[in-house]
Amino acid sequence: MQASVAENMSALKRKIAAIEGRRPFEEACALRLGIKVVDATLGGGLARGALHELEPRGSIHCGAASGFALACAALAARHGDDVLWIETPFAVAETGKPYGLGLEAFGFSLARVLIVRVARSIDVLWVMEEALRCRGIAAVITQLTEIPDLTATRRLALAVRDGGGLGLLVRHRVSPHASAALTRWQIAAARSRSDAFGGLGRAAFDLTLTKNRHGPLGRWTILWDHHDRAFLDPALSFAVARAPCDRSDRALRRAG
Amino acid sequence: MVVAPIKSALRLTAMNDVAARLGLKLGMALADARAMHPRLDAVDADPLADRHFIESIADWCDRYTPLVGLQPPDGLILDISGCAHLFGGEAALVCDLVRRMQSHGFTVRAAVADTVGCAWGVARYGTQAAPLAPPPPERGRSPTPALSRDRRGVDRERPSPGAQERADLSLSGRGGVCGTSIASPLCEGSGDHQFIVPSGGAGAALAPLPVAALRLASDVVTLLGQVGLKRIADLLAVPRASLAARFGTELILRLDQALGVDEESITARRPPPCYVVEQRFADPIALERDVLGTIQRLGDRLKATLEQHGEGARLVEAVLFRADGKVVRLSAATSRAIRDAALVRRLFAERLAAIGEAHDPGFGFDLIRLAVIVAEPLDPVQTGFDESDHGQALSELIDRLGARLGFRCVLRIKPHDTHIPEFAAIEVEARRQWTDDRGRMTDDPLSSVVCPPSSALRPIKLFARPEPIEAVAEVPDGPPVRFRWRHVLHEVVVAEGPERLAMEWWRDETGTQLSRDYFRIESREGARFWVYREGLYERETAKPRWFLHGLFA
Repeated sequence: MQASVAENMSALKRKIAAIEGRRPFEEACALRLGIKVVDATLGGGLARGALHELEPRGSIHCGAASGFALACAALAARHGDDVLWIETPFAVAETGKPYGLGLEAFGFSLARVLIVRVARSIDVLWVMEEALRCRGIAAVITQLTEIPDLTATRRLALAVRDGGGLGLLVRHRVSPHASAALTRWQIAAARSRSDAFGGLGRAAFDLTLTKNRHGPLGRWTILWDHHDRAFLDPALSFAVARAPCDRSDRALRRAG
Repeated sequence: MVVAPIKSALRLTAMNDVAARLGLKLGMALADARAMHPRLDAVDADPLADRHFIESIADWCDRYTPLVGLQPPDGLILDISGCAHLFGGEAALVCDLVRRMQSHGFTVRAAVADTVGCAWGVARYGTQAAPLAPPPPERGRSPTPALSRDRRGVDRERPSPGAQERADLSLSGRGGVCGTSIASPLCEGSGDHQFIVPSGGAGAALAPLPVAALRLASDVVTLLGQVGLKRIADLLAVPRASLAARFGTELILRLDQALGVDEESITARRPPPCYVVEQRFADPIALERDVLGTIQRLGDRLKATLEQHGEGARLVEAVLFRADGKVVRLSAATSRAIRDAALVRRLFAERLAAIGEAHDPGFGFDLIRLAVIVAEPLDPVQTGFDESDHGQALSELIDRLGARLGFRCVLRIKPHDTHIPEFAAIEVEARRQWTDDRGRMTDDPLSSVVCPPSSALRPIKLFARPEPIEAVAEVPDGPPVRFRWRHVLHEVVVAEGPERLAMEWWRDETGTQLSRDYFRIESREGARFWVYREGLYERETAKPRWFLHGLFA
């Protein structure tokens, strides 16, 4: 009985997906992040062929937002497709250029990174749409200066559905605007657990899922292992991560 | 009438027929001319504008042959070998050229001959009536007293019978140009001439012409005149050895070139394309959709030719000839050899979108040409039924982005052998280059990628210009305890370092570059930065400065 209900449900889901003109939301289509609780919340993982928005919780966390986008792209690019990074003058002035050696150290293959330098914001959307539609691109990362409206993101969402890649819109601040993205994440850097020598540990992200079309929301702290190119659950790594003692993010949010 | 300062006086450098009939001469001082006719109208010479003008005419002449050479200041030379039959023969070609030029308001002198020298001389100094039907005169403009006069000549050459046939059109516009517009009017007096020197008739055609028709320096012409050698026939009668001894070898060279004894090549303005197809329109087209549709149809025709030769295009050029004489050139490069017309069309759609308003169709285009400038062998590839080729999709994307934004904006990162952080990663064009300096095919830009020189952790984002920060350190050599960046104070919780990078002494010519101590630090919020102290305390500087250079994830 239980099994037939599940079958019925998935058949219905496929039917609805066909009516809505999108692919059925299947686990094979999703990019597993490797953390069970996060993947379960997302319904299997970060959906391919969809847009995802990443917002830093404050300007100080821009590096973390870029880092999380890169980590997701590195996971998506495992099968040999390229990752396209759209570079705008504003983003370069604000948070710097993507740095080749750093990308390599972060677990990225330089041969798989394509950088497109775009000056006009209208071209940013055009490049993003073209790249999302391309089958040879595993992920597109854009640092947006202006918040595109619902129509623009809807257009991008349609393009990425054809291409089947990962569209990652990295904003430079939290925005309340509506968009056609499937998920929206608020990202902050989390304090890392020092390594055995008292140095910096693995990169840690404090993720808050603030929008999810296919499931509930949540908040997690996860680590990125640049050597194995995998996310780690801090609870399952060799020691439990200390809970953040001060909630500076709240103060930041109050401040603006 | 055009004047220019020559030998400390304003002298006439060009004039129209009306002025010529008044008895004025070139080289005359403007003051003398005004003394004869006080109401003369004169404008200053503008050699640069003349140059641009003749180049735009040369662009326009590309419709007849891809080999067009400039003969500054006022002539053009066209190699029409193998092109004449496309226009129904040499006579028809010259007729068409002269008629079109006249409709733009020019006086044209054209000559077709076997050699460049002969065509040049006959176009400028020929006096016999043209042995072909005169073109229908299209005059209707009112004569204006003082303006420019342009002349033009068409010549053809055939070096030796049996050899590859070549022909040259030379067109000459004598005199300066009022303004730069093609519409500069002229009329009055028929300067128009068309000559066709029959093959092998160079000697006969040149004989009655003055020696100046040999492209000689003016002092040589004067010298020849002083000894009574006024016509080329006179020169031919004199033994060559004595001519060379008396007047130098240049005279002999020019004579041989004109007669076809010596080779002379035309310096083409552009490299001739590998394959060309074109479409003419009786009625000009202006809509972008029509232009792109034409490009696709032409692309289909190119595809058949390319397939026959087993080649694909790496650089395609579309030339749009506007009905009023302006020529728009668009080129699109590709990262791999292509033949597909739909792809070509898409590339040019991006090019048109990129230049936006710059390709004003005006009254429309009456000729569209598609040319393959660089071709590359392309073997047929077997494709699967289901899987689309991701590599091909990617290279097509790179081509489209490059066509729209320029290939300088589509980049890959390549490590570079230095330990100075900002130079250790450089950006190279993602497109595969087709040839290197020696004309060989180069490899993929990423094939020569070496491993990063250092395995130390580097930030994912680097500021092009390190941002100054105010930092406080517990000890002068130690890591910062807190620092202020962009007006915000950050407290450092964990710090790793220093990693000391000294500037490379073999590149540091002034010896003023300071060493840097880099620290990886984590703030209380968890954000990570890459900061450095410039200058070693007390050894290099008394007051080290702090900079923030990058962001970690």
